[in-house]
Amino acid sequence: MFDFLDIFFVQQLINGLAQGLVYALMAIGFTLIFGVLNVVNFAHGEVYMLGAFVGLLVIQVWAPPLVAVILVVVVVGLLLGVGLERVAFRPFRRFNDEASLKSKALREATLLSSLAISIFVRELTQTYFGSEMQAIPQRYLLMTPIKIGALNLVSGQLVILGVGLLMFLVLQYTLFHTRVGLSIRAVANNLSGATHVGINVGQTIIATFVIGSILGAVSGALVGLYTGNIYAQMGFAPGIKAFVAMVMGGLSSIPGAVISALVLGVSESIATQFISQGWSDLISYGLLVLTLLVFPRGLFGGSDERV
Amino acid sequence: MSHFSGNKTAIKIIRTMVMLALGVTAFHANAETTVNIGYQAPFTGEYAQYGIMFRNAATLALNEFNQSHRLAGAKVNIEFEDSKGDAKEGVTIAHKFSDDASIVGVIGDFSSTVSIAAAKVYAETHVAQLSQTASHPDFVKISPWQFRNIITEAYEGPFMANWLYQNGVRKVAVINIQNDWGQTASKNFINAFTSRGGVVTTAEPFNPGTRDFRSILTKIARTNPDAIYLCLFYEDGAAVLQQKAQLGLNAKVYGSSAIYEKKLIDLAGPAANGLKLSTTFAVNSPAQNVRAFVKSYESHFKAEPSMFAGQAYDATNIMLDAIVKAGGAKATRDGVRKALAETKNFPGVTGNTTFDPVTREPTKVLTHLQIRNGEFVAVSE
Repeated sequence: MFDFLDIFFVQQLINGLAQGLVYALMAIGFTLIFGVLNVVNFAHGEVYMLGAFVGLLVIQVWAPPLVAVILVVVVVGLLLGVGLERVAFRPFRRFNDEASLKSKALREATLLSSLAISIFVRELTQTYFGSEMQAIPQRYLLMTPIKIGALNLVSGQLVILGVGLLMFLVLQYTLFHTRVGLSIRAVANNLSGATHVGINVGQTIIATFVIGSILGAVSGALVGLYTGNIYAQMGFAPGIKAFVAMVMGGLSSIPGAVISALVLGVSESIATQFISQGWSDLISYGLLVLTLLVFPRGLFGGSDERV
Repeated sequence: MSHFSGNKTAIKIIRTMVMLALGVTAFHANAETTVNIGYQAPFTGEYAQYGIMFRNAATLALNEFNQSHRLAGAKVNIEFEDSKGDAKEGVTIAHKFSDDASIVGVIGDFSSTVSIAAAKVYAETHVAQLSQTASHPDFVKISPWQFRNIITEAYEGPFMANWLYQNGVRKVAVINIQNDWGQTASKNFINAFTSRGGVVTTAEPFNPGTRDFRSILTKIARTNPDAIYLCLFYEDGAAVLQQKAQLGLNAKVYGSSAIYEKKLIDLAGPAANGLKLSTTFAVNSPAQNVRAFVKSYESHFKAEPSMFAGQAYDATNIMLDAIVKAGGAKATRDGVRKALAETKNFPGVTGNTTFDPVTREPTKVLTHLQIRNGEFVAVSE
């Protein structure tokens, strides 16, 4: 009866966790921006895609060590964060009173403006680079097999695990032990209150976008090298999964989003094992519906608001 | 002063307009008659690279045709429309082409799904439609107005099944993309392979857009097959081959002709070595017409043509040939359809094409290929 519990099953769990980590990397930046501004940043997937493209361009032009590639991607992520906030979000924050900041109109307008930016950037990239996958120099691919007994891991999975953990810890430290983190949490908690105690709200929001976009761009570059797939549409599918993970995790809980992303990844690989890959998306969206039915605030939602 | 110069400008504009109008009339008087072909394919979206290859190859064929002056006093023109790989767009374009009386025949679309959706319109409006790639069995069954110059999975599946069996493969796992084409390809192969006495250990469909095949490959590893048969396109193929190498699976890999594309090797790197596949178009073929096509395509578009480009090149030439046979400038939609149905041994870069007069199914010869040291090499076994 339990004969499926063999080494292949353990391998399946590893496959699922690795895929979950890919979703988690993206979900961290996504959730950070939502948690502070209460707006969905649909352009996060394109920051992720641009991070991968910039990484690839750096590799093609200079071929430096991977660490240098990532440093360039960090800088580009920073610039993308500033630019994105300036173009898609700030024009809608002309009034700083509480009523307009919490209004549905603001949420909807920024949701659509970020979606518009996302489509624009994706199509532009596609027009310039073509819609096909870009060839990546083999030695940069994070695809070296690592055998542990009968189990097969890949170097990229360890890199993503390490970077994911690092991002998560640094972010938690920044949020809870630095002044920037304190002001980010203050703005997230009560925007007009933060204004009254003298926090520069505009700068704090920019800082949030910068941190979120750096995380997004670095994730894109690493996942691109791990999967070997860099193409204009690459941000879309993980973006949807990251969104699902964010909602399941309770919208503004970063640990919640990470755990939900891992649950999604594992449930997909288990679904592939026992039914078929064609069903795995259905299973993950089914999990979302089930979570919302049983826990209307998401798995880790602390607020009083329903998801 | 300013008033005066304003007047002068106005006079200049009027003069230019008059000259332009005269020029246009003069141009019209000298112009040759134009016969139009409609070409629908995805030029944007996920499958844009195929549409662009089609457009390149079709333009090449068209320019060669117009320069050859096979149609005295007439010129053929192709109108391209972007279906974005979307069946709804495909139907809209089909209506647009049908309403345009200057269009005597249509080429396209790319996928079976979109081609079939558009075919239902062309069947009603009586426009001959020739798809370079739609290989779903139902496509040509829609009406006598549908043609294709690609061999179908009903032909390729058994061909591949025989090849695997001759190579000693008895247990095979199948991975196919979950769309009309992938399901048909998988079914035809499986039926032929099991009827020869082989065993299919598992058949794994995947959703289009999947990038992680490790779960599918792990599931396949458990069933321990001799070989894996792939019914998918090169980008998915590259991911499967790389991830298979990482997971340390030893099964041999075979692919249907859809995977044949130079970029497969660029993307998958050394993991692509050993893959066996069949194709109607080999870029390094010694045949003279293939060499001329490859050279011309490379010089115009700075890229090596793939089987898809070859298919579109042949489809365009078959259509142009049908227009000539149907009377050139006087060709009617019905005449083009009749001429297409009579296509016999048409010498193309993807082999000689004959359309069955009743089923309109094409017949061609397939070549065996294997990737060795990063190159597609013709093999005998």
